[in-house]
Amino acid sequence: MSSSTTFADAPAAARSAPPILEIVNAVHAYDGVVALDNVSVSAAPGEFLTILGESGSGKTTLLRLISGLEKPYRVGTLKLEGVDVREVPAFQRNCTTVFQNYALFPHMTVGANVEYGLKVRGVPPKDREARAREALRLVQLQEMYDRKVHQLSGGQRQRVALARALVPRPAILLLDEPLGALDEKLRVDMQVELMQLHKQLGMTFIYITHSQEEALTMSDRIILMRKGKIEQAGPPAEIFDSPISSFAAKFMGVDNCFEGELVAVSDGWASVAVGERRIDGRWTGKSAPQPGAKVAVGMRAEWLQLSDAPPDASGEHNVLDCVAEASIYKGKYLDRTVKTALGPLKARIWDAASSARHPSFVRWKKGDCIVMNA
Amino acid sequence: MTAILDHQDAGPQDTGTRRSLMKRVLDGLSPSRLMVPGFLLFWSLLVIVPLVVIVLFSFLQVRQFRVVYEPTLATWISLIDSGRWMAVVRTLRVALTMTVIEFLLAFPFALWLAKGCRSKTVKAAVITLLTIPFFLDAASRIIVWRSILGTTGAINTALMSLGLVDQPVEWLLYSEFAVHFGLLGTYFPPMVFPIFMSIALIDDEFIQASGDLGASPAQTLFNVILPLALPGIVAGIVFTLVPLMAAFVEPQLLGGGFVDLLGNSVNSALQQLKYPTAAALSTLVVLLLGLCLVALIRVVHRRIDLAAMFVAMRR
Repeated sequence: MSSSTTFADAPAAARSAPPILEIVNAVHAYDGVVALDNVSVSAAPGEFLTILGESGSGKTTLLRLISGLEKPYRVGTLKLEGVDVREVPAFQRNCTTVFQNYALFPHMTVGANVEYGLKVRGVPPKDREARAREALRLVQLQEMYDRKVHQLSGGQRQRVALARALVPRPAILLLDEPLGALDEKLRVDMQVELMQLHKQLGMTFIYITHSQEEALTMSDRIILMRKGKIEQAGPPAEIFDSPISSFAAKFMGVDNCFEGELVAVSDGWASVAVGERRIDGRWTGKSAPQPGAKVAVGMRAEWLQLSDAPPDASGEHNVLDCVAEASIYKGKYLDRTVKTALGPLKARIWDAASSARHPSFVRWKKGDCIVMNA
Repeated sequence: MTAILDHQDAGPQDTGTRRSLMKRVLDGLSPSRLMVPGFLLFWSLLVIVPLVVIVLFSFLQVRQFRVVYEPTLATWISLIDSGRWMAVVRTLRVALTMTVIEFLLAFPFALWLAKGCRSKTVKAAVITLLTIPFFLDAASRIIVWRSILGTTGAINTALMSLGLVDQPVEWLLYSEFAVHFGLLGTYFPPMVFPIFMSIALIDDEFIQASGDLGASPAQTLFNVILPLALPGIVAGIVFTLVPLMAAFVEPQLLGGGFVDLLGNSVNSALQQLKYPTAAALSTLVVLLLGLCLVALIRVVHRRIDLAAMFVAMRR
């Protein structure tokens, strides 16, 4: 039996199809602390949607709202596959969760765990064993059917949890930081495997993580959450290149962020006064603000160039004079801190041998400088 | 400064060496070398030896308040002839019925206490209330029921004054009903506590995962909660059944001589200084309990490997 019999390779659904998940204005609070503040989310069939945020941002609450493990305080619309599920309990919803700590039943074998979703649906034992073995093959654990759960390693448990959630063939697979407890190497491997599974099954994945690297690697679309609200949503490249706020920028790994006063903005370009200095960059924020408003300026460490001679003023670069400070050796690259009129800047140097030993100037392209809402 | 140091130096000199000696002794008590044999020896002296003595004693006789050391089956034969073995059957029946009733009451209660009750104050209050039966002496606690269940008691007075009955309801007191009723309160906590503990230890995530995978609440109860609570259920049954086999206060005070259980027989035999009879009855109790426990372990074992489950639950 090939995997195509039960887990058919589904073509990626057209993005114009009606959303498989629709949440409008969800509000939830725990003991008076707001966890979700008017959040609206929708997902297209077959989409890999990542909800990114730090702990306490409400991302897990959002997931539990979808799975039905949590009942929202108030929600405008909560539809799965176009059906209103506001009053439908978790066990009747067509979505399953891969829990962060796996939550594999300790009193059952691996096979019984994977079959569980079919057993409770009354699937006859023979069918469910076949389908469980199939799912285990999908996560490369076909020999583990008769093992006890406590005999497995962390990575294997993760795969069993994944197989168990896949077996009932849910419309949406919810993954709650599933790779959080794994070590680095395993995590990278599992990322690739998850992406392949997603492609192969054509299922909608909703993935929760606090790691921007995971989000960028795997998703079709990222929703960045902050304090129960959606800060920014969009494809990975968009969020990475054009964060709309200093929070989004810092979360996406923009190393150097400063606050300044907007001087002028036109045609997507902005000019900002930071202290005495004037910095030019791309406007990536939400609405175009009035000159004089507080804005944030950000640049990635890898776009900064250090030199010991004054660079020619071509008008394409922002230039500052600087004094070299600490440098940290990171193997693949060198992180140098330089003191400038703006404050300390971090520059990432990939070619340590040919870079200036005692830099006195730092420059970066205006196109690599982003200006956004503070 | 130096004075303080001197003072500190002088005082604990000898206690320091004593403590290190203690430490050395304690360090030497590793589980494999001394602790296990030591514990086994202590245990056998405390429990096994008296048991063996009791069994042996049942084959002896007492004549003119003196023990005659020659083996005889006389006690055992008289036990059968006098019809005292009926008490054995009755005891077993009452003990098993009560264990079942207590389990059926305690499990839903423990489930609510462990998972359903969200308020910590309520939980603490309920647990405290459950320990109250242990505050009072059994006899003084049980005797109160006489004034409630008796023919002139509270219930009958109420029923008569309401005109619901003409004659006082007789079976309320000095009957098997009264004995069962009296046992109910005493043996509820020992059933509830172990079950409550084991359910409280079940990670909420297992219950949520079960529902998330499509199991209805009833399916979650039977497939996840019940098997994971099994160690507590077994403990609850043991802690309830064992003392039930030896119960004598409730049958004596509420049975009124109509409900003679093994505990009463042992008690009365002891009072009449019939030590071999008491010993023989006690041997019977131990024997029956052993049989019950073996049966319990076999039933449980067929369903689930308990030892493996403890390993699994450690995660």
